[in-house]
Amino acid sequence: MAEYEMESLKTFNYDRPVIEKGYANQTICIDISDFVISVKPVAEKMKDVFIGGKGFDLWLLWNAVNSTTKWSDPENAICIASGPMGGTPVYPGSGKSIVTTISPLTGSVIDSNVGGYFGPYLKFSGFDALEVTGKTSKDIVIFIDGIDEKVQVFTASGLPDDSYNLSAMLTERFAKGKPRNISVVSTGPGAKNTLMGCLNFTWYDLKRKRARYKQAGRGGIGSVFADKGIKAIVARWDTVKVKTNNPADPDSLKGVGKKYSRKIVELDPKQNQMAKIGTTHLVSIMNDFDLLPVNNFQYGRHPEAENIGQEVYGRIFDPGYDGCWMGCTLACAHGVKDFVPVTGPYKGTRVFVDGPEYETIAGCGSNLGIFDPHSAIEMNFYCDTYGLDTISVGTSTAFAMECFEMGLINETDTGGMDLSFGNRLSALEIVHQMARGEGFGQIVGRGVREMKSIFAKDFGADPDLMQDIGMEAKGLEFSEYISKESLAQQGGYGLALKGPQHDEAWLIFLDMVHNFMPTFEQKAEALHWFPMFRTWFGLCGLCKLPWNDVVPEDNKEMDEPAKVMKHVEWYAEYYSAVTGRHVQPDGLIRMSEAVYNFQRIFNLKMGFGQREHDNIPYRAVGPVKTVEYESRQERYDKQLIEKHKVDIAGKSTEEKVALLRKFREELYEKLKDAVYKRRGWNNDGIPTVETVKRLGIDFPEVLELLRVYGVE
Amino acid sequence: MMIRIDGKKHSWREGMTIKDILKDLSDSHLYAVVRINDKHISRPHFEKTLIPDNSEVFLILMIAGG
Repeated sequence: MAEYEMESLKTFNYDRPVIEKGYANQTICIDISDFVISVKPVAEKMKDVFIGGKGFDLWLLWNAVNSTTKWSDPENAICIASGPMGGTPVYPGSGKSIVTTISPLTGSVIDSNVGGYFGPYLKFSGFDALEVTGKTSKDIVIFIDGIDEKVQVFTASGLPDDSYNLSAMLTERFAKGKPRNISVVSTGPGAKNTLMGCLNFTWYDLKRKRARYKQAGRGGIGSVFADKGIKAIVARWDTVKVKTNNPADPDSLKGVGKKYSRKIVELDPKQNQMAKIGTTHLVSIMNDFDLLPVNNFQYGRHPEAENIGQEVYGRIFDPGYDGCWMGCTLACAHGVKDFVPVTGPYKGTRVFVDGPEYETIAGCGSNLGIFDPHSAIEMNFYCDTYGLDTISVGTSTAFAMECFEMGLINETDTGGMDLSFGNRLSALEIVHQMARGEGFGQIVGRGVREMKSIFAKDFGADPDLMQDIGMEAKGLEFSEYISKESLAQQGGYGLALKGPQHDEAWLIFLDMVHNFMPTFEQKAEALHWFPMFRTWFGLCGLCKLPWNDVVPEDNKEMDEPAKVMKHVEWYAEYYSAVTGRHVQPDGLIRMSEAVYNFQRIFNLKMGFGQREHDNIPYRAVGPVKTVEYESRQERYDKQLIEKHKVDIAGKSTEEKVALLRKFREELYEKLKDAVYKRRGWNNDGIPTVETVKRLGIDFPEVLELLRVYGVE
Repeated sequence: MMIRIDGKKHSWREGMTIKDILKDLSDSHLYAVVRINDKHISRPHFEKTLIPDNSEVFLILMIAGG
């Protein structure tokens, strides 16, 4: 191991509060410009309105920044919180942290949901949320020690840049012989040199005796972290039991938790086997339904997709328990042992890789035309250790590859790289260049939105064509599903608050495959209910996977099987048991509505929360090029004839592409109208005064902001 | 000459496909994916996918993902 030095700059001693019904009832703010550390109380109203997790983060961030704050300004805050149920060991998926900041990719609020032990350890150390502001020219490490009741800030020199080694070293340093007591948040050199940096959150794997990693990937939070000069944030906490979170009704909690855990153990092996293969089963299923992104979202299937599917990864994954939080029976985080990269600084050495999950396989595999399972693993490894978001890396590289294949850019522009689809060595070289901050990789690392400007300005590429094929909205790169044939999923992406990430509403199957929502009103209802319920997980410190990736055997007999209401009812029981605030399932949606609308208004504060910002590139709506149309000609011809009553006889493919586009873009605008109405927003996508009053977020500064936009 | 569908015994015959076993179910339209032992099979392949004897078959609603 490399030699390094750490010197304590500041020590802040505190009295750790007793956790009460899932809350520490205080947050901590660390300003690293002058090393001022302060503790802020959590008022009852803050709990009433914002619940915890993402809600707390948003409130802290709202108060930290102003409407002109840029991502790299000192006042921008990185906020990390779990939630009232975060840290519960008997209920599956209860160890999540939610991170928010002003994103370098979107210029507005980003939130990212991540596993690992940090959020719960932070809370048990005495803080519902951590807010880090300021910037420093030194490399610093922040240590939150809940056992010894102190927060320390160190300057560090000689620590490795890459996140894997860094986290392992800091785990060893602070563990005092108990590495499971440590969780490290860190990033790597890719985050420093791009706008798409991720954060790695660790959990300690007792069986494999190593720190494992989960990522807060989206929106460049890692880049903010690196830009601030933070090397790592470390939390230390002791043994976790049910009583550590001091639930209001521990017996009820244990009852519902055990019931849920047992059901998952019983049903997951009969359903998607996520404890065995994670999310890799989605690869072949998406491919079969023409939904797997191939070659920058042009196509939805590929004959070689089986090569990167569950059967292959099922053989490659290292067997064993892979829960990113204690006691989670879904345990879907998997890894590859003794992987030997063929490129980069780890070439020829054995490494452990956390992943890959579906998004990485699709983003860094099929969407780049790469169907070699080991290339996706290597991309996964280097993105993690360099601190890069695999989704933004994949989607950005896919865009650059299509531009290269279409002649919009050439080998002179790429520094001599052949960026044809399928060129795995070039894809990996892009990632290495991102980490080094050099070459064409540095341009790709600016993200799709900036690439479009650079390619137009410096290389003379057609801006209109790039607007159609560049898969970003609000500045964030799309995650890895083809949405062309599902209007509801187009809304799921385009109307998502932070940009096109599927964690608000993944409706492709419900809409396209099951046809559960044939009307606009039904789609709008789905685009209300699902984002609200999924938001709720982020308020409470929970993972959404146990909710609907494993379903009760009698779920199909329910009125609305898509909502998995039995599980929703259990979540209401769970919330009531922890917080002592008794709630019915409808109450969970109401909690989310307040925070969701507040985040929409936060976007407005940053200048991005209106109808025009919900636009998406046409590639997400329909076929841009004739080859895309022809790949699904039967489907598209049928739609033109039957749905749109067009006589296509004698029409060229170009004409049919144009006609389909006109119809589909109109439908997307109508969808916006329906969803805005359902959500209680005006026709410009802004929450009405009536809505904010109903939800209890009619703060004076909110009403003033609405007034500026003509909403009174 | 037997398979199990969601844990229940079901007779098997040579040439039996996924489509064959679903046609007798009133809620077959709900199943977008069927697992045969460890392999997921999606609806577009139901008609052509043969079910081997002694298979464990699981009917999957497939409403989640992402």
